[in-house]
Amino acid sequence: MVMNPEKATFDGGSIINPIERPSVTQELSENVILTTVDDLYNWARLSSLWPLLFGTACCFIEFAALIGSRFDFDRFGLVPRSTPRQADLIITAGTITMKMAPALVRLYEQMPEPKYVIAMGACTITGGMFSVDSPTAVRGVDKLIPVDVYLPGCPPRPEAIVDAIIKLRKKISNESIQERGQLRQTHRYYSTTHNMVPAPMIHDGKYLQAETRVAPPRELAEAMGLPIPGVLEAEKEVIDRG
Amino acid sequence: MAEEKQAAQEAPIVEAGKTSKWLTEQGFDHEFLGNDASGVEMIKVDAELLIPFCTALYANGFNYLQCQGGYDAGPGEELVSFYHLTKVSDNADKPDEIRVKVFVPRDNPKVPSVFWIWKAADWQERETFDMYGIVYEGHPNLKRLLMPEDWVGYPLRKDYISHDFFELQDAY
Repeated sequence: MVMNPEKATFDGGSIINPIERPSVTQELSENVILTTVDDLYNWARLSSLWPLLFGTACCFIEFAALIGSRFDFDRFGLVPRSTPRQADLIITAGTITMKMAPALVRLYEQMPEPKYVIAMGACTITGGMFSVDSPTAVRGVDKLIPVDVYLPGCPPRPEAIVDAIIKLRKKISNESIQERGQLRQTHRYYSTTHNMVPAPMIHDGKYLQAETRVAPPRELAEAMGLPIPGVLEAEKEVIDRG
Repeated sequence: MAEEKQAAQEAPIVEAGKTSKWLTEQGFDHEFLGNDASGVEMIKVDAELLIPFCTALYANGFNYLQCQGGYDAGPGEELVSFYHLTKVSDNADKPDEIRVKVFVPRDNPKVPSVFWIWKAADWQERETFDMYGIVYEGHPNLKRLLMPEDWVGYPLRKDYISHDFFELQDAY
């Protein structure tokens, strides 16, 4: 198709060799973003990664420094949440003992999908210095819950936590909605089937009002009431007056 | 010269401390264990006599149980429950201190509780029970403090063997 370039005009001007740069295409490229739903969705998610306020030992001191203005993790969209229901990420900052383990697993279970775990510090990776001879420290938090990023250090510096979060952001940006089916709540950690029996709550808040705290048992009261020499009783009176 | 020095080290003459002498004067027989590194006198008391001793010491002005704890004297040896007492008062300058130790057999470790004299003994005795299995008779709420309540064994005893739980096995 042959066109006469001399006759082709647009808006009173010539299309060929216009007097200024073509504005339509320019504005289009500035105002239209071409992306995939995956990328957009992942970008939104990784930019508002809300961590659970969870800390059991010295690692949390470093994590708390990250909250402050010097390291400022709000710039990554990290807003600490105090309830697992609103959190996307749990950073296990500190040693996990066997007494703490059920609480940690329950917190993890209560978080909504998709959820991520950063194992922070040597204690939560292998047990750290407690892996030698401790009767209770859990040797690696990955025995309890699945871990996405291992962050070594004892404790790691706040910059290292930032690095772990950037690595986690990269991981999130690679995910796809097509794989969403794999994100369903499943049983992802080791446990055994149990036959537990419901038992009455023993932590009833009446610790100090317990009957056993009112008076000593008879034998002890008798032992404490043993006659003591007169000198002592005189001294006791002085103390009472003072 | 060196031999004389050695002989002097072998049989040091330990003079009983002030509070120990006072206790003896009042008719409380006990064994004086010497002073520790910071000069605190230590005495050994039978478990049955602990409450009369503590009542007397409280009457003497030891109104503060600074620390209560336990230790294992060694494999197959006795368990020890100790009580570090001091006098708290206004403008105190180097107040008297004393450490009372009770040695109990490890197959039947029973000590009367001093909770009714010093309330501070509450959690400390629970911790000692938790770690060494020393039973404090007369304690208002003697159950495990640090370990899970259904734990088996007392972890700080020298002869304790760790369980082979999955969580406690080495990580790879």
